[in-house]
Amino acid sequence: MAKIELIGITKKFGKITALDNIDLEIRDKEFFVLFGPAGAGKTTILNTIAGIQIPDKGDVKINGEVANQVDPQHRDMAMVFENYALYPHLKVYDNIASPLRSPMHKKDEAFIKEAVESVAALLRIDKLLERLPSQLSNGQRQRVALGRALVRRPKAYLMDEPLAHLDAKLRNMMRSELKEIQSNFESTSIYVTHDFMEAMSLGDRIAIINKGSIVQIGTSDEVYYLPCNEFVAQLMGDPEINMLSCRLDKKDGAYEAALWEFACVCTVPKDKELYERLDACGAKDLHIGIRPQNIKYRFDPAEDYSVGTVNSFEAIGNKSVLVVKLGAAEVRIIVPNDLQVKLDQEVYVKLDMERALFFDAATTEYICRYDEASFRAHAAGQAGKE
Amino acid sequence: MRSKKRLLAICQNGLLAVYSVFALFPLIWMVLLTFKSDAQMFDTAFVFTPTLENYKAVLLRTDYLRYFCDSVIVSFGAVLISILAGVPAAYALARYDFKKKENVAFQILSFKFAPEILVVLPLFMIYQKIGLYDTYLGLIWVYQLITMPLLIWVVRGYFEDISVEIEHAAQVDGYFWWQIFLKTLVPLIKPGLVSSALLAFIFAWNSFTFPLQLAGIKVEPVTVAALKYLASDTVHYGQMAVAATISALPAIIFALLIQKHLVRGLSFGAVKG
Repeated sequence: MAKIELIGITKKFGKITALDNIDLEIRDKEFFVLFGPAGAGKTTILNTIAGIQIPDKGDVKINGEVANQVDPQHRDMAMVFENYALYPHLKVYDNIASPLRSPMHKKDEAFIKEAVESVAALLRIDKLLERLPSQLSNGQRQRVALGRALVRRPKAYLMDEPLAHLDAKLRNMMRSELKEIQSNFESTSIYVTHDFMEAMSLGDRIAIINKGSIVQIGTSDEVYYLPCNEFVAQLMGDPEINMLSCRLDKKDGAYEAALWEFACVCTVPKDKELYERLDACGAKDLHIGIRPQNIKYRFDPAEDYSVGTVNSFEAIGNKSVLVVKLGAAEVRIIVPNDLQVKLDQEVYVKLDMERALFFDAATTEYICRYDEASFRAHAAGQAGKE
Repeated sequence: MRSKKRLLAICQNGLLAVYSVFALFPLIWMVLLTFKSDAQMFDTAFVFTPTLENYKAVLLRTDYLRYFCDSVIVSFGAVLISILAGVPAAYALARYDFKKKENVAFQILSFKFAPEILVVLPLFMIYQKIGLYDTYLGLIWVYQLITMPLLIWVVRGYFEDISVEIEHAAQVDGYFWWQIFLKTLVPLIKPGLVSSALLAFIFAWNSFTFPLQLAGIKVEPVTVAALKYLASDTVHYGQMAVAATISALPAIIFALLIQKHLVRGLSFGAVKG
């Protein structure tokens, strides 16, 4: 149980700035996800919190006290390392027992036996306790690494992609297991991932990191429905959001978006806040972000529908992705699996403008979306529920 | 195809047999000499009346055991100091980034480049001046030139193979640095440490130039002492062979022990490749 704050953390490795003035506040008992592409600095943030790396500038506060000078031993954190970092010469049992045998967290052997066995059962590795790490598969090693952290009740769990090497079924199972453990233990967890599904399903709040800076912090609904820029919008969601260029014109008090890539003009739906923001922004060149599930399609011509051709059709499990070539643009649309399409077949599509996100093409910053207030209320409702 | 393979196998084994005779025959000959009396030394080959006279002469009537003890003290001392100083040095060279790191590492290795005879004369004069001549400490010190570079370079490689996250994990688990070193790192470098320490021991044991020049009266390892049996009137080849045979024993025993520890791979597998 701990509240962890990072204040103005900067960390450089030689000439490379790994973290650039990071400010974070992780609340007590929160499941906090650090999400971002590879090399963004997620692991460095974890290492800074664990005390493995000392920031060049800034303060790490644990429960309100500056902990910059506190050794990792005294910070009372448990960490799951991305490359497992198991002790190669110790059996699985001794690996998991290791934190409970250290001078900082010493327990008697009977207690250790019970703790190790229960955590091993939880992680489905109870049959492997007598093996050495070299005799395990990557997924099993990862679970041992997880076990070594979960065997203790630390102030905070720091997890660096702890499920990355598990197979899909096990990953889904462990994901819900972790969420449950977190709420049972009432501990603070900081979880690094580059998997959008994990970030969305696990995180009470998500911090999106890119190139050593925090781009956005919010609940999963906030970052999904109200991304602060195109980077976040593209990162959250699979298949990726469609970004279409358009030129904005005001006619008779209504904004019209000319999607010049495929010669289509859409009216921006009337919404006071949206119009005010577009007025205030004043930009003419915009990007419209529209999620793959918010594009309507049909195979015969209709009013307001633009014609395109099928570029590819890919089944991804319980749904399929249809890629349609629309003039110079390509859009991804989520369709049911049983859809019968041929390549280069004509298809008619219509964007659901009420679901569209508007971005400034020059800065890639988010401007507004239709009926933002209700999305904000929805996201706030999610936050309140946690 | 099969006959070709067979021919190859015969050739390989034949060559190995020839090589082993070539390598082992001098040793066998030396052992044979130890059992010959001086009278039969030059006119017999394999058929002679075996005698233990040489062993009695060397072990009981000379100071051989004292020389042997000197060798043990000096060689063990040299290896011990090399381990105590070399393992931390190897760790620093493997883990930390400091200026001229590779130069320092190369400098250490370069001690092995020059022949011992090249440095022994200045060392002789320095040792005379500072009173290290003919002392255990003096020999142990100069033996670091032989033992330390080997140990540092082998152990450094082992440290580099251990992912730094393992140390971080131990820190987060709540261990302090000396426990991490003893409980986590030492077991992982053990194969390298043991094999390089044993090799260093053998090199120190066999060293001849340094003890010949820098010691010789109070401290006298067996390699130098074996020369004593070249008396001015006669050469007691039998006694010399006994001295050489016994002094070779520790090296042979340790070499057999090394075999087991030369197998690497303990630290492989727990770290993602």
